Amino acid sequence: MKTNGWRLTETEWRSWLEGLLRAGKSVIAPVEENALRLFSPVTSAADVVVENYSNTQWSPKEFLFPRSEPLLFYRFRGDETELEDPGLDDKEQVLFGLRPCDVAGLGRLDDIFLGESADPFYEHRRKQTTVVSLACDKAEAACFCTAVGGSPAATEGSDVQLVPRAEAWLLQALTPRGEELIAGSASAWTPASAEDWRQAEEQRLGVEKTIERSPLSKDWAPRLEETFAQPLWEKLGQRCLGCGICAYVCPSCSCFDMNDEGNALCGTRCRSWDSCAFTRFTQHASGHNPRATRPPRYRQRVLHKFSYFPLEHGERFMCVGCGRCLKLCPVGLDIHQTVRAAVSKGTPGEGHQ
Amino acid sequence: MNGQRENLFRPQLMRIAQASEETPDVRTLRLEFRDGKAPPKFEWRTGQFGQFSVFGAGECVFTITNPPTRGGHIQCTFRQTGKVTSALRNLSLGQSVGFRGPYGNYFPMDDWRGRDLLFVGGGIGMAALHAPLQLALDRRADYGQILVLNGARTVADMVYKEEMKEWANTNGVTVVRTVDPGGETPDWDGEVGLIPNVFERLNPKPNGSIAITCGPPIMLRFMLLALEKLGFSPERVITTLENKMKCAVGQCGRCNVGRFFVCRDGPVVTAAQLKNLPADY
Amino acid sequence: MAQTLESSEARAAVTQANEWQPRIVAMVCNWCTYAGADGAGTARRAYAPNVRIVRFLCTGRMDPLFIVKAFEQGADGVLISGCHPGDCHYVQGNLLARRRFTMFRALMDFLGLDNRRLHFAWVSASEGAKWSRIVDEVTASVREAGPLPNWGRLGMGMANPAHSSPLGHSAPRLDARVPPSTEDKQSISSHLQQLAADLLRNGEISSVVGYSCGTLPEQMVPTFVTDPEQVSALDWSEHCANNLAVYLPDALKKKGSGKVAIVVKSCDAKAVMGLIRENQVKREDVLLLGIPCTGLWQNGGLALKCHSCSREVSPSSDWTITPNGAQKGAALSEAERKVGADPRDEQIGILESLTSQERWDYWQRQFDRCLRCYACRAVCPMCYCNNCISDKHRPQWISTSFDGKGNTAWNIARAMHLAGRCTGCDECTRVCPAGIRLDLLNRRLAREAEIRFDYHVDEDVSTIPPLTSFRPDDPDEFL
Repeated sequence: MKTNGWRLTETEWRSWLEGLLRAGKSVIAPVEENALRLFSPVTSAADVVVENYSNTQWSPKEFLFPRSEPLLFYRFRGDETELEDPGLDDKEQVLFGLRPCDVAGLGRLDDIFLGESADPFYEHRRKQTTVVSLACDKAEAACFCTAVGGSPAATEGSDVQLVPRAEAWLLQALTPRGEELIAGSASAWTPASAEDWRQAEEQRLGVEKTIERSPLSKDWAPRLEETFAQPLWEKLGQRCLGCGICAYVCPSCSCFDMNDEGNALCGTRCRSWDSCAFTRFTQHASGHNPRATRPPRYRQRVLHKFSYFPLEHGERFMCVGCGRCLKLCPVGLDIHQTVRAAVSKGTPGEGHQ
Repeated sequence: MNGQRENLFRPQLMRIAQASEETPDVRTLRLEFRDGKAPPKFEWRTGQFGQFSVFGAGECVFTITNPPTRGGHIQCTFRQTGKVTSALRNLSLGQSVGFRGPYGNYFPMDDWRGRDLLFVGGGIGMAALHAPLQLALDRRADYGQILVLNGARTVADMVYKEEMKEWANTNGVTVVRTVDPGGETPDWDGEVGLIPNVFERLNPKPNGSIAITCGPPIMLRFMLLALEKLGFSPERVITTLENKMKCAVGQCGRCNVGRFFVCRDGPVVTAAQLKNLPADY
Repeated sequence: MAQTLESSEARAAVTQANEWQPRIVAMVCNWCTYAGADGAGTARRAYAPNVRIVRFLCTGRMDPLFIVKAFEQGADGVLISGCHPGDCHYVQGNLLARRRFTMFRALMDFLGLDNRRLHFAWVSASEGAKWSRIVDEVTASVREAGPLPNWGRLGMGMANPAHSSPLGHSAPRLDARVPPSTEDKQSISSHLQQLAADLLRNGEISSVVGYSCGTLPEQMVPTFVTDPEQVSALDWSEHCANNLAVYLPDALKKKGSGKVAIVVKSCDAKAVMGLIRENQVKREDVLLLGIPCTGLWQNGGLALKCHSCSREVSPSSDWTITPNGAQKGAALSEAERKVGADPRDEQIGILESLTSQERWDYWQRQFDRCLRCYACRAVCPMCYCNNCISDKHRPQWISTSFDGKGNTAWNIARAMHLAGRCTGCDECTRVCPAGIRLDLLNRRLAREAEIRFDYHVDEDVSTIPPLTSFRPDDPDEFL
């Protein structure tokens, strides 16, 4: 039960953001463009849109792991080649308005990019980033954070959290970095009361109750691994059309491709997002492809999220339950349903898939 | 890199010092560092691989085919198959090639001291065997009998033709060459037959020996069966996995075989390990 | 002389450096235009030096991506020139090219490329004078247009809240129609299930591709039924969005001895017939189970494509399923129905009323958001190539990075490859996670084919897609 923290009006937190902008920080927040909610750097706090906001169309991962970025530059001089590293931006960035599921997604990206061979580009951006999350006051039909060990008001990974309440916004700083972020403005704010936090907790429980998808057990990670060779995957992956939407909107998908682009004088080696759903993902130059058809590729995605990653990184699923892949999949594949079906050996309900 | 962590993806610049055409589509390159010497602390172990760059075309994974006993430079053998290997075939002496590595695990050559070694390679698979074989020859006294079975589709496709003569002349080394039925020339004096069949005909006794085999997927499948049939213990049957790789440092997510990342946990695996891995390669 | 030669040369160089010179790429055919240009040279004609020639054997070889690449690499203008119609060295290359230019020009104009930058000409081997005149005209025209503004914005494509779409906020359109009643839907479902079970049991079909309930509210998803005991999975509602024709080629590869039955709305049936027209599917291998769809409802309103639909069942249906039952053949209702104007045309009109710069900004912003997920390609039944142009890497035609250039090139290639073939099902637009108005690009090109070549995409499989045919008198007033 929290006893510190503040109780803010919307005007107060907007003006706090405005202050951050004036201090030269980059503030990235949900905005609306052409009826789409997307994360974007804002030039004014007035542009931040949080009403009727469940979640953005895509995850905010592109601000730590860009869609495309240069890894190095090369230039030819006769037989010699010169290489140059890309410069790194030193601007501080505040990611504002992330739902707890998206914050959890950043945590999964940390596991991948900040492991044994840390990625210098990701690491740099991560160091420049402060996370202000926005707890959820309602869940959508596609949400299932609780099924994978998350929560609508989880604070792990957040530096500051805002909780929308009926008449006000509660705010708490969770890390030294978070405290630094609010240092300039907090003195003018009204402290929150214990009752405020008690109600926030009730709100959280209320939201959790509305999430219908059942919890997935951590024990299933090894069981899923065992289903690899089973024919049930042919049915489960049958309607997948092999686009990259699920991987690209997902907060924790991190696979990428590397390509050289240039001309006879110079060029760039860049990396871009890639998806295990594409045919070419694992195809060798010889033509051999370990995952030649769509069902094995669908299987890879599911097992990576719910089996290989948890077994490797200590029991937390790679999936954070944000529900975007469910909403945006052109053919309505439901990864939660797939996992349950795979574990119960292919009896997903009505005898069809 | 601006005082930050070093750029993981930046290759060393190397120069092509020597190039030899093993077959019409297989080439061996000897690469030397730009300033003639290896950077301090540049070392690798037998079996490790690198990402070789042709700037403008991309990167490609090859095993480092020279062992640390013949250090100071990097060698690789590759077959022209796709974009990068085609570009590599067209480079001439003195031109730049990037090298990123060494990556991956290695053949535990020290553990195998005193044992007999069998090397069975199919086609370009021989390249993966070249480094451990050369190391064993360089430290001849450390190992027992050595059998090399080099198979190819046709006589023209056989790699390391010249080196094989050297190997055959070494004490305690038997070299057997074979081509697929139909691949022999009238003056062919080697074996004719598919590699696993020829291997079974040779009927080597396990005796605690280590068998290392590399080649195309289909050859590998039957070789592993043959080795099992002849009683080789799966912990002493070694092969290398070859999945498509990009980052080679376990991040891009492409080369996984289940939980196992070929770039990080492989490419060297035992047959025993392979039994526990999903057929995702 | 008071000034040295060196300094006057230096001054000339400085003047020239400050004065931007148009850079124009001319793609010409070897037999006519190249010879004509050569002729202009031997006749010592002086003309503007701003043109770099790329020689092709025939204009018929020219792919729109070549022009895109020229602009990507910094050309300010492109000129395409070949033999006169009727004189092609390869008989018909330029006649096919003429149609391709027509569509490409319409597309680029719609995207907002200043039409002073893109030119087409017929120049024969004896027309050296014409060549030099055209080069001068084109150079003047491109000079007037100015340097090409950045083709494809670089960067992460940040959303811009200040960017308001000229199309306004999409709101559900007012249409007198209402979704079908629950009883009607249930009737259709049960008749469909019964029919499917009968056909599976008698062996006429080996599988049914239809719709089933998804896990999200109101969601309908594709389903495949091979077992007559499982037909209860088949369902129908006003949310059956998917164009199931996309599954046909694969389903047919795997089928046993029976046909593949497919549930189709009339927009889907057009795609099935398109696949048959292009020899991807054999008519005798499929059974069309037509449903007289009363409209697709999404986001609380009727889908744009439905406003101008007659709501008849597809005339190619082998079975028609209505709330009253399943009957053989295409049971047309012949009801008097008011068919609305196509709202997409209205929106195209709005965009066309903007200046080309405004249109360019609009589409560049759309393409900036493109995630290159290729969902548009994945859901399109007409995108069935095993090796998509975007996957080819020797050479890499379409830049792999998700920046403006690659995104622009991909979207242009996609639209051009579908030109004259797209059946207007708008699935690409429904699934696009970036909300790009692909339907407007497709529809604009479909209209161009209708107006220019009198080609309408319908269910007649004997017609030839417009870009693979030509008429000697195809319009070419833009040349």
